[in-house]
Amino acid sequence: MTAAAPLFSDPRRQRFTEFVANRREPDAIIRLRREAFDRFETLGWPTRQQEAWRLTDLSALQSITFQQPADALVDVETLPTLDGPTHRLVFVNGRFAPGLSRLPELPDGALITSLGQAVTTHPERIEPYLDRLPGLEQHPFAALNTAFWEDGAFVHLPRGTVIKEPVHLVFYAAGGDANVHPRLLLMLEDGAHATVVVEYRGQGRYLNAPLAELALGSGAALHYHQLQEESPQAFHLGAVQVRQGRDSEANLHLVSVGGQLARVDLAVLLDGEGTRCALNGLTLAREQQYGDYHVRVEHARPHGTSEQRFKSVLDGKARSVFDGMIHVRPGAQKTDARQTSRNLLLSKQAQAHSNPRLEILADDVKCGHGSSTGFLDPDAEFYLRARGIPATQARALLVHAFANDHLNQIRLTPLRERLARLLAARLALDLVEGESTP
Amino acid sequence: MLEIRNLHVTVEDREILKGIDLTIHPGETHAIMGPNGSGKSTLANVIAGREGYTVTEGEIRFDGKNLLDMDPETRACEGLFLAFQYPVEIPGVANLYFLKAAVNAIRKYRGEPPVDAMDFWDLVHERMELVKMDESMLKRSVNEGFSGGEKKRNEVFQMAVLQPRFAVLDETDSGLDIDALKVVADGVNALRSPERGFLVITHYQRLLDYIVPGQVHVLVNGKIARSGGKELALELEEQGYALYNEEPGRARRAAA
Ligand SMILES: Nc1ncnc2c1ncn2[C@@H]1O[C@H](COP(=O)(O)OP(=O)(O)O)[C@@H](O)[C@H]1O
Ligand SMILES: [Mg+2]
Repeated sequence: MTAAAPLFSDPRRQRFTEFVANRREPDAIIRLRREAFDRFETLGWPTRQQEAWRLTDLSALQSITFQQPADALVDVETLPTLDGPTHRLVFVNGRFAPGLSRLPELPDGALITSLGQAVTTHPERIEPYLDRLPGLEQHPFAALNTAFWEDGAFVHLPRGTVIKEPVHLVFYAAGGDANVHPRLLLMLEDGAHATVVVEYRGQGRYLNAPLAELALGSGAALHYHQLQEESPQAFHLGAVQVRQGRDSEANLHLVSVGGQLARVDLAVLLDGEGTRCALNGLTLAREQQYGDYHVRVEHARPHGTSEQRFKSVLDGKARSVFDGMIHVRPGAQKTDARQTSRNLLLSKQAQAHSNPRLEILADDVKCGHGSSTGFLDPDAEFYLRARGIPATQARALLVHAFANDHLNQIRLTPLRERLARLLAARLALDLVEGESTP
Repeated sequence: MLEIRNLHVTVEDREILKGIDLTIHPGETHAIMGPNGSGKSTLANVIAGREGYTVTEGEIRFDGKNLLDMDPETRACEGLFLAFQYPVEIPGVANLYFLKAAVNAIRKYRGEPPVDAMDFWDLVHERMELVKMDESMLKRSVNEGFSGGEKKRNEVFQMAVLQPRFAVLDETDSGLDIDALKVVADGVNALRSPERGFLVITHYQRLLDYIVPGQVHVLVNGKIARSGGKELALELEEQGYALYNEEPGRARRAAA
């Protein structure tokens, strides 16, 4: 019925038809998938003529024929773990791996499980909420995710439920040019608290196009961490949607180190009075890597606070993009919205693009943005060397200091420490043992 | 231990040092005084190995070794220390971590194992008291948000921990009140020994009441215009650098 009626021979449509035919799901979910697929066809594959995709070069991706993912075995050793008790769900090629997962008891009414299973066991909890968050209607890969997701995580905490142990969601892709679309649907009802760690890993070449929907009720609190450590050949085109109710608090930490091309589109709607949102993003890229955050923070109600702090460290010919929008709706008085983008270039060929954007339609607000891009401070380097510290170590220390500021915002100790080790390893920096903050 | 011979230095093709000769033996403390822009910091930076300075003629030897061939970290590991006129702020690098990294880099250079954690802690505490530094400064990032006085104190503190054999202090007294100045002087005097040498650069005579030098040199327009005993500093205080055709009375006014 859409103008761009698909050709019958379109392999993607054919793949979709076969895919939905094999799903045993409530009609409502199948309907969502069809709508999403139609939406994707209307939007089409992104081109660089579109403002939102101007800097994202997808040509390497287009020459590859991606496959529906197959079952795969994974070496348990390659899967990341978090010290301490967790609610752990592992997905291999987008499919739930119960044998690798571990789900402790939950308080009454709470649910942490495979989304694919929950769709049939608890349809009433899913149908009204899946694919309901605004902000990414124009994102073709979000539409593809809704059309094609096989499985993912469903986290639902009823009113007032507080879960101390982190929810650890591991998504592993096993290569073979698979195109995986893992999904996360998280709902924190009023006053619920959760800490979530999402990790993307893999081997070989694949396209990972995950979508996370995070809905927070009044007074809910979420600490969400997303660590993208895809394989060096991988493509990552992810999206995160957040809607926050009154007086809720969302802290998002995004770290991107893997993949040849990685882009995350993040849309946050502060949809209640007095909501607080902190978005921290860190990209470490080298060689030919490309890392991109497209962020839209929308203040819909008064007294909301948001802070976006994005950093990148770029070596070799790496490139990073930060495109960050603060949109304040007319009624959202007393908004306090800030945004900074800071980029550290370790090589002359590296490039960072920052594109801060403000659309402020209320008159009594505080909004600010700043961006900076530069090389290491030669005076600081000399100062360290003049105390005996070798040049390579001095530079590593300075890079570490730049990035560590991001990691220090993470309250989940085992994750923060693992990331600190990852950062140190990337910088070949010997952390002096016992010294917590270099 | 430090021998500077006929040192000519240009910065961006402009000659700043125009033939400096200076020899400092172990156990000696020399002072360099001079008006602003005369090249004092240039000399200090060339000794420490900062980039951007071209030595067109002459040499600097440290214990007989060619200093100009060494990179800055090697100079530091050989026992050289520069207290910066403008200490650099390094956000995100904690003072204590930085010091430990420096101590261990120097120990590694000497073929020694990393410092024992307890020994290091003891040394740090002892030296902190010497310069009356607050313990909270150890956890803070290097010089970040420090007041002018705290920065200078931190330089002396680092010197006291690293225990160099030869230290250049570049206007470590500038901007300090008399109490802070005494603390800096105490820090230097505590390190003075027959094996150590000091080059104290200052704009004012005042510091030299507390760190009494064996010799005073007057640097004017890239040359040592005069050398003498400690009384030369007092003379300069009286007469300014006017005798040297430079901005008459400036030193006195600035000191007042
Ligand atoms: N890095 C530099 N770049 C450009 N000019 C410099 C630099 N360092 C010193 N100079 C110039 O050299 C001269 C001497 O400066 P300096 O050694 O700092 O003098 P002092 O420490 O005696 O005040 C001044 O004219 C100064 O402008
Ligand atoms: Mg100077």
